[in-house]
Amino acid sequence: MKRLIGVLVLVLFAAALGFGQAKAVVNEWQVPFLNCLTGPIAAIGEFLEWGAEYAAKEINASGGIAGKPVKVVPIDTALDPQKGSVEMARIVKDSLVAMGPVPEPVIMAAMPIAVEAGMMSMTATTSLEYAQKFFPWTVSFLPPTEQRLATIVTAWAKEFPDIKQAVQFVVPYGPWPGMAAAHVKALQELNIQVLGQVDVPDDAVTFGPLVVKALEEKPDGIILVTHGEQAAKIIKELKNRGWKKMNHILVFSSADDAQLYSTGGADLNGVQVYNYINLDISNPRWDAFKAAFAKDHNGMAPFSLAPNYYDALYMIKEAIEKTGVTGDPSKLAEERKKIADYCANVQNFHGLLFNWDMKDGIPTNKPNYIFEIQDGKKKLVKEVR
Amino acid sequence: MPLPLYYYLSITAVNILMSWALYLPYRVAHLHFITIANMAISGYAAGYLVMSLHVPFGWALATGFILGGLIGYVVSRFIGDAPTFAVVIVGFTFIFITRTVIQNLPAVGGTMGMFGLPNIGGNPESHRVIILAILYAMVVVVGWLIHRFDHSRLGRAASAVFVDPDLAASLGINRKKLGMLVQTASCTIAGGSGVLYGFIYKSFHLDFFTFALVGIFMTVIFVGGYATLWGTVVIAPILYGVPLLLPSEIQEWRVVIYGALLILVLVLKPEGFITPRFVRSIETFLSGKRRKRNISLKEVT
Repeated sequence: MKRLIGVLVLVLFAAALGFGQAKAVVNEWQVPFLNCLTGPIAAIGEFLEWGAEYAAKEINASGGIAGKPVKVVPIDTALDPQKGSVEMARIVKDSLVAMGPVPEPVIMAAMPIAVEAGMMSMTATTSLEYAQKFFPWTVSFLPPTEQRLATIVTAWAKEFPDIKQAVQFVVPYGPWPGMAAAHVKALQELNIQVLGQVDVPDDAVTFGPLVVKALEEKPDGIILVTHGEQAAKIIKELKNRGWKKMNHILVFSSADDAQLYSTGGADLNGVQVYNYINLDISNPRWDAFKAAFAKDHNGMAPFSLAPNYYDALYMIKEAIEKTGVTGDPSKLAEERKKIADYCANVQNFHGLLFNWDMKDGIPTNKPNYIFEIQDGKKKLVKEVR
Repeated sequence: MPLPLYYYLSITAVNILMSWALYLPYRVAHLHFITIANMAISGYAAGYLVMSLHVPFGWALATGFILGGLIGYVVSRFIGDAPTFAVVIVGFTFIFITRTVIQNLPAVGGTMGMFGLPNIGGNPESHRVIILAILYAMVVVVGWLIHRFDHSRLGRAASAVFVDPDLAASLGINRKKLGMLVQTASCTIAGGSGVLYGFIYKSFHLDFFTFALVGIFMTVIFVGGYATLWGTVVIAPILYGVPLLLPSEIQEWRVVIYGALLILVLVLKPEGFITPRFVRSIETFLSGKRRKRNISLKEVT
């Protein structure tokens, strides 16, 4: 028994050492980024990471943050709440500020730890409805869903007065049903009848029966709140079953990814899609970003979330420089609060694509865009604010 | 206690309990994945009780155990003596049904999830102490009960059912009652574990209860050893803890390493790393005694 107790004490001691914290940072700004670098959404995690690393390179090339270099420290959570919570617990002791986690299940498991520790962690890719639960220790990069999406769908539907009734395909994932509800509200305000919603299982592989069910309702317009690949397959099925008015199909922003285009191909021609990045905007930073992204991603254009953590790192830089944060470990709590307060109400922030303001952690004047897809490329239809 | 160590220990305890919740029915060759659904049902129910009805945590936890056990009992009346494959199908179906029901229940947050579960004991430190104390008390109690079960007539009956159900039945073992017992016990453990799992994170999201958990618990049981409860105790902390200490370059290969490890163990050591014989030799070593040698007549002469 004595031996057993001895072994247990040794194991606990070793574990305590193993989980000790990293050294305090004073000569280099280290910004941990809790991201999904492996697992089912590793492809998204890769370009989020790429955006943050690219920002760090740019910042360091122009003198760093307050004269010190910045380093993004990638931390893989593998879309696993179990791993995400331990990783967040590791970084909250010493880190000044962090980025991530990604996506919602890991946010929900790990963000309460950041909140408890009073450390800001920027969840730059989730909807306001998730982010605001952890205010003031994060900010939202997206305006309130209902307000943002209602405006977009109204703008789209007004283009086509012949749309009298519409159907939505919805995957019941996280905030997406809430986004679909915002679409419905906008359509109803335009006196467009919203027919039955078609629920798309998260793991659906065949879409014929779902499309038949939707077409039986005889809609004039269709909105897709699904993954990109699913949206492409639904559009193909719609075409196969005689759907002609391709611009009467609206794809929501989260589906605007590489899989939409690689799966949909020419069948997407004419389909409209909304997003909050516009590849046609031209400014020196965005042009350089697009060129570098294409170089590292087989010529592809940046995906919808690619600039988010680029902007997040720049917002951290601005917060540190404008508030005089020193990185002194003895002032950790005070300086964490300074960064959080600054970011929550930053004014005229110079984002990669456009400037915007924040009020209490919520962006107030970010534009959205509606595009029409032609030959795998998006052509701007209108900007919506 | 460092915060990462708290999360490591608490999640490890849940993994041990849940792996035991699968181990127990596997004693009669049932892979009872309904336990994952039980975690979600009891967890969300307890969360609702605490958040919306302001029921004290203790009662909510007790409700979680009871709800888990009740669902396990009702289902076991139908599949207590079903073949392994049927039990697996019922488990997967139950997970799908549970997810769909929760997705459509706004009272528990629907697809968004449930945020802001309160600190038990009023502050974060007390919360952590209470959660760890409950979890490890559960590990000790459940471990002791399973140990007693394994060494009882019921445990030997379960082993007989595992090896040959028909032969076991011919020996007078009531397969259905035995199956019902282990399934109900397993679901009770899962119910309580689900409540504590959510209170570790202070939130509930449907993606906390995915098929990935089935993979984790199955790996723990089959790598650790499915013939003794100690395999789980040894392997659960290693499988969860070691990847956290690895450099990120190696962590990227974590899933491949798990897969290769599982294949290797199934091929080379199908009983897993920890076998009953190995446990006996450790017991002998720790007690400081040497096993008495059987001295043959030839040696005496």
